[in-house]
Amino acid sequence: MAGTDRTGRELGPAVGPPTRPGRSFVPVDPASFWNRRLTVQAATVALTGIPAVLLATAVAPPTAGSLFATAATDLAYSFARMLGAYLLSLAFALGYGYLAATSRTGERVLIPVLDVLQSIPILGFFPPAIIFFVNAAGPGNPLGPNLASMFLIFTSMSWNMAFGVYETLKSLPTELREASDVFGARGLFRARTVIVPATVNRLVYNSVLSWTNGWYFLVAAEFIATASSTTALPGIGTFLLSNATGAGSTTGLVIGLALLVVLIAGLDIALWRPLARWAQRFRYDQTPSGESEAGEVGAPRAAPLRRAAGVVVAGMRQGVSRLGTPFLGLASIRIGGRARPESPYRRAAVRYVALGAALVVCWLLLIALGVGVFDVFTGPIAPAVRSQIAGLPLALGASFGRVVLAYAICLAISVPLALALYRRPRTARFGLPAVEIIASVPATALFPVFLVGLLGVIGPEPTSILMIVTGMIWYLFFNVLSGLRAIPLDLVEAANSYGLPSRQFFRKLALPAILPALVTGSITAFGGGWNTLVIAENVRYGSTIVLQVPGVGELIDMGNFEGGGYPLMVAALFALVLAVVGLNELVWKPLYRRAVDRYRLE
Amino acid sequence: MALIEVQGVAKSFPSRHGSINIMSDITFDVADNDFLAIVGPSGSGKSTLLRLIQGLDRPTAGEVRFRGAPVAHASQEMAMVFQNFALFPWLTVEENVAFGLRARGWADDRIQTQVERYLSVTGLVGFEEAYPRELSGGMRQRVGLARALAVEPSVLLMDEPFSALDPLTAESLREEVLQLWRDPQLPPEAVVLVTHNIEEALVMADRMLVLSRRPGRILAGVLVNLPRPRDRKSEAFYALTDYVYELITQGSPRSPVPTVRSTSETGPLP
Repeated sequence: MAGTDRTGRELGPAVGPPTRPGRSFVPVDPASFWNRRLTVQAATVALTGIPAVLLATAVAPPTAGSLFATAATDLAYSFARMLGAYLLSLAFALGYGYLAATSRTGERVLIPVLDVLQSIPILGFFPPAIIFFVNAAGPGNPLGPNLASMFLIFTSMSWNMAFGVYETLKSLPTELREASDVFGARGLFRARTVIVPATVNRLVYNSVLSWTNGWYFLVAAEFIATASSTTALPGIGTFLLSNATGAGSTTGLVIGLALLVVLIAGLDIALWRPLARWAQRFRYDQTPSGESEAGEVGAPRAAPLRRAAGVVVAGMRQGVSRLGTPFLGLASIRIGGRARPESPYRRAAVRYVALGAALVVCWLLLIALGVGVFDVFTGPIAPAVRSQIAGLPLALGASFGRVVLAYAICLAISVPLALALYRRPRTARFGLPAVEIIASVPATALFPVFLVGLLGVIGPEPTSILMIVTGMIWYLFFNVLSGLRAIPLDLVEAANSYGLPSRQFFRKLALPAILPALVTGSITAFGGGWNTLVIAENVRYGSTIVLQVPGVGELIDMGNFEGGGYPLMVAALFALVLAVVGLNELVWKPLYRRAVDRYRLE
Repeated sequence: MALIEVQGVAKSFPSRHGSINIMSDITFDVADNDFLAIVGPSGSGKSTLLRLIQGLDRPTAGEVRFRGAPVAHASQEMAMVFQNFALFPWLTVEENVAFGLRARGWADDRIQTQVERYLSVTGLVGFEEAYPRELSGGMRQRVGLARALAVEPSVLLMDEPFSALDPLTAESLREEVLQLWRDPQLPPEAVVLVTHNIEEALVMADRMLVLSRRPGRILAGVLVNLPRPRDRKSEAFYALTDYVYELITQGSPRSPVPTVRSTSETGPLP
């Protein structure tokens, strides 16, 4: 309709109270979003990348040239892997999303599967994947680890894209579908002119997020692969790690990081920004009720991370009803015949106890079963491995403690930081781009820097926790910030007109208002944290153990690297997945529902 | 033979509490050269009825026939103009108008000629390369109209085509549609217009079908035998407006109006 064309509209100041009253969820305005990103990324290149490369080249002339060449070659390898995995993800997402959106049976099966897949820590599956692909390709064949790495990157890229395709096709306006029917669009013509174009805008948007995810997992995969000489992968992650350990050089580390940042920023400027502008025309926003679904769940507005949160939560919300049903059914079983009105607390308590007990029993049974199966098929498990498996609950506890501690640190940093940037728009003008520059570097690429700069100073345990923090913090920060920015202007004005002091403003308005976003951020942050565990608890370069702390991630790695450890790896992975899924079902989903029910501002 | 026969059509949708009855016992014909308006309050199933006629949806009971043959799938003999235009935002004006022809597998040069013709008929020359979002509402609906006319349908179905436009734009577009309708060189052979605007129906149509509140039933068939162009300020126009208004609000008219006939009596117009 006339007047709803948003292409030329500006979003207003980057940070600060929303400039428009009324509905708090302003649909994403990619035009200004990309303009701002461009500024940020250009600044990134100018401020960090180029001078860093120049400096590194100038300071260490004898080795820098060859280091630069190696880094560039390795980066090219990594990029090729990313590209391959991305193209695979694209094809997968279109097929999977289309099937889920068009077939009722498909939807009932595919969407819950997608829900589970995107909530489990996929990094844990890399060790088994590497074993699988190396065996399949034959030992010594470089194809094996390469395929394993691409598989991991694929898993980190494809879920959100598939969800994007599914959601756009599901929310394709009825009139457009009818118009295709009225004019007889069928088969290939329909796919080419209607189905694929309808998904383009969302696919481009989600691709940006997928590449952000992909870089993180690419580097992680190379770290893990490098721990064994038979599976070593040439790539930027390997390059960084090699320069952080043993005979490596700090110059190499700087060159590698700078090249990586330049590539990421360059891709953004040269590829994603023009693509997003072009994809504008694939948006159908002619109906007056054009509020997108995505706007409702996570209010993703400026950063891909926020987008990620929205997608994850959209998935979780859909998953709640489906996955939660059997558990809720279990919880509603009442003992004794007396029918009396149950208090919600009692019901919740019963549900939690039942769920917890069921999970523990299932877990023990499956572990026992797993050990039995290994005993039968591969011979008895070595006693050492057996005792490590028995120690799994303890390891899980240690890891859990580490993630919770990291989460507390993230919370303590990101909430005040977001609040400060929200309350002081002038600070935000410089502060936010700075934060976005730091956040655009894949967290894993910073790990070698920690290993060089901090490990010797603060010891393995704090370094490991710090690694987990970098894997979590941005999810929390950007969600809290977008939650703050979604507070309706009239509420802020009301608070100001009553002269609410800062502390009261936070307690009475900001905190309740950001709760849903905070929970969203926490869910995604914990997701990131669990993933990071796998590389943050055990870092090796070749056979040298660089960093090791006891935990479930460490056990997965030990199982991967040590002889006869395969059962350990599977058990540890299984324990991790179960813990994560259980935590989602028991804590996050109910919490999210409560937060949304009580504190959503509309 | 009537062009379209709607015979005892009923439609209900499943819901959480059993099923919702949208309409029942709908029977009427559309003849060649008929301009039929279907009016009724919101929820009377007007738009659903239009979709049943096109074959986008199947009736729960009864049958829709086109030239004697039951309508089973989306009929390619009819074309629809949508309330919110339903233009493909990724296609240019030209490509949107060509959409139905491409789906039918026409050759490129034939499509070119046909598209040019209907772009000029609807006053869109000069906008071929524009995208829908760059156009005003009135221009968008012209594209919707050109797209529907380009496939040269026997029946043009219009689903509240003017209600998303501002009143002035709507008024001028109504006039243009009537001019196109009067041109014997142009399709279609019949028009079915769904609207909740009684005046609009009286200005445009030869016949009116008045539906009741949900579940929609035919309250009356009204023959609009006012001289064209219709004079909204005439006594007869007022009388007819009041009559239909009372029908809809009270379910029955207080006073009979001479131009009114029951559905069964309303045959094709001379």
